[in-house]
Amino acid sequence: MITAELQKSWARSLLEAAPSSPAPWLEALQRKAGEAIEQLPPVNRKQEAWRYTNVEPLLKERFQPVVSRPAGYEGEVPEAITPHRLVFVDGWFMPQLSDVALLPQEVTAGSLAEAIAAGDERVKNRLGSVAEPDAHLFTAINTALVNDGLFLHLPAGVKLESPIELFWLNSTDGETPRLAQPRNLVILEPGAEAVLLEHHLPGQGGHYLHNAVSEIVLDPGARLAHYRIQDESEQAWHFSRAALDQGSDSSYHGITLAFGGRLSRTEYETRFTAEGASCTLRGLYTVGDDKLQDFHLDVRHDVPHCSSREQFKGLLYGKGRAVFDGRILVARDAQKSDAELTNDNLLLTRNAEVDTKPQLEIYADDVKASHGTTVGQLEPEQIFYLRARGVPQQRAVHLLCEGFAAEIIEHITVEPLRDQALARLRKTLSQLD
Amino acid sequence: MLSIKNLHVNVEGKEILRGLNLEIGKGEVHAIMGPNGSGKSTLSYVLAGRDGYEVTEGEVIFEGKNLLEMEPEERAWAGVFLAMQYPVELPGVNNMTFLREALNAVRKGRGEEELDAVAFMKLIREKAELVKLPEKLLKRSVNAGFSGGEKKRNEILQMALLEPKLAILDETDSGLDIDALRVVAEGVNSLRSPERSFLVITHYQRLLDYIEPDHVHVLAHGQIIRSGDKSLALELEEKGYGWILEEEAAA
Ligand SMILES: Nc1ncnc2c1ncn2[C@@H]1O[C@H](COP(=O)(O)OP(=O)(O)OP(=O)(O)O)[C@@H](O)[C@H]1O
Ligand SMILES: [Mg+2]
Repeated sequence: MITAELQKSWARSLLEAAPSSPAPWLEALQRKAGEAIEQLPPVNRKQEAWRYTNVEPLLKERFQPVVSRPAGYEGEVPEAITPHRLVFVDGWFMPQLSDVALLPQEVTAGSLAEAIAAGDERVKNRLGSVAEPDAHLFTAINTALVNDGLFLHLPAGVKLESPIELFWLNSTDGETPRLAQPRNLVILEPGAEAVLLEHHLPGQGGHYLHNAVSEIVLDPGARLAHYRIQDESEQAWHFSRAALDQGSDSSYHGITLAFGGRLSRTEYETRFTAEGASCTLRGLYTVGDDKLQDFHLDVRHDVPHCSSREQFKGLLYGKGRAVFDGRILVARDAQKSDAELTNDNLLLTRNAEVDTKPQLEIYADDVKASHGTTVGQLEPEQIFYLRARGVPQQRAVHLLCEGFAAEIIEHITVEPLRDQALARLRKTLSQLD
Repeated sequence: MLSIKNLHVNVEGKEILRGLNLEIGKGEVHAIMGPNGSGKSTLSYVLAGRDGYEVTEGEVIFEGKNLLEMEPEERAWAGVFLAMQYPVELPGVNNMTFLREALNAVRKGRGEEELDAVAFMKLIREKAELVKLPEKLLKRSVNAGFSGGEKKRNEILQMALLEPKLAILDETDSGLDIDALRVVAEGVNSLRSPERSFLVITHYQRLLDYIEPDHVHVLAHGQIIRSGDKSLALELEEKGYGWILEEEAAA
């Protein structure tokens, strides 16, 4: 089991490799994160949030934080769907691989490190204000080591026509595995609208640790659709936490499709700061072969008249394991809240396992809230129905799995991305038997 | 076409079919009637190859081949089609995708070329028109949230698409309104041909007014206890099953 000592010494080894703070104004935040690391309880099964998530093998490995922008990238960069492409290698923004020329002038999309170095007021005001540095070990490390990542800012009323597409790639020197730890800050001013697509890919890396924290600020009336396809390598460790601050009448529509990683943890944290906001979180995970897909949601309704919808589905096979921990809190004053959470799991094999834990904590009396979880197998009569129509057994299983997953994928409004997602799912299914 | 001899079938250890004999020739329409629980659906499932039905005795020969040795999909390729009493819902599986998948699987199984998307669209529109299935139902998940009648029409659509040699209709008429019954029956009649046989399971004479059977059988406690022509169905409609069961018990 992970001890406080192991955790501290692992974190220190990462921190030691980092240079001094990128900007004096950041020092306070980084110091706070550094102190948190010394005090945080170990991420072991004594903590509810880590009960089924064993990161001990991770903490027994050494990683090299990538502390400066890679000079170049030898690998291929996948084609983008949209004209606005931002490429990151080991967590660093790569201007020469990116294309933001067609974005409207008033939109900022690029390197967080540059904005930090320039003392950008928008970054100064907001960085560290949405994601708690001390939520747990990995957020604290990300904060203590903050350097690059995405800084996206849309001024009031700007509505982007095309999505912005991010590619997260990795490099390697074949020796010590690398730690990429991007920090992303997304600010949509009142009434701004954007669609953000993220692809997490191995690039040239195989064995690496990706530890991302995203802070997303949606001012009143802002709308963000945020689709992520996590397709890390099979040896990779992937952590990603999105923390949302939603103003009145803002809307966030998030979908994560998690296909890859040896251990992948996806976290969402939503705070409604004013009435009328809505947040939709959806996710699909596929997992097999001793891998773990881990999802944690923390949605807080602190103010009245907000709605949240969480829908997550998992396809498990082989000895795959998944954890789903979805918490919705409706505070006493949050009357007329509307919250619905579902988690459905399809176990294709006997050895697959899922721990699902929906938690609805409701302190207001006039709310609409519901939750439901299922863990099941494919229905034999559904397979028979398809076979009786001539569809071979294996194909019948694939079609039913696709049907199960389609209920998440169909919510992706960007058609080429939806097609990519379906193709990626089919790749997993084709490797099943 | 189909020859069933002395078929005995157990379900969960209980004998449901007890020595059933039935011969269906090419192009013939046979109707099976019989009390609830007598084993009609069991027979249809055994013919389609569903799991959980243990054949303890007897044989089923379809076009010279031992049907019982074939996988369900192989039976479909060979030309067996079962319109189910309770069509199954497939949430998330788009009906159009499903129909195309089924058609191409069957074509492939029959050694025919698969249809491309354009040719398929043309064909499916034609067939949907035949059974008056609204096009919006093609865009939804298979049978999910369909009304009882819509499900039955979707079954007949599949039959029209897959062009089986032997179509088994298990209570396709139940749950249909009067107009839908006519539409379904017309769909069936348009598929009647010297090459295609039908086994129509029903409780009501009404369907047989539209689809005139060559032979009518009564299935009771696992056996065909009476066979006749279409007048037998009329007699049953009038008198019920009691008299046959009594005669059988006396014999
Ligand atoms: N899976 C099963 N487990 C247990 N008993 C079963 C099962 N399937 C069928 N039976 C039994 O087998 C008998 C025959 O059922 P079957 O569905 O074939 O009747 P049926 O003639 O089609 O009746 P209906 O006219 O009501 O449709 C019934 O007594 C039924 O309860
Ligand atoms: Mg029946």
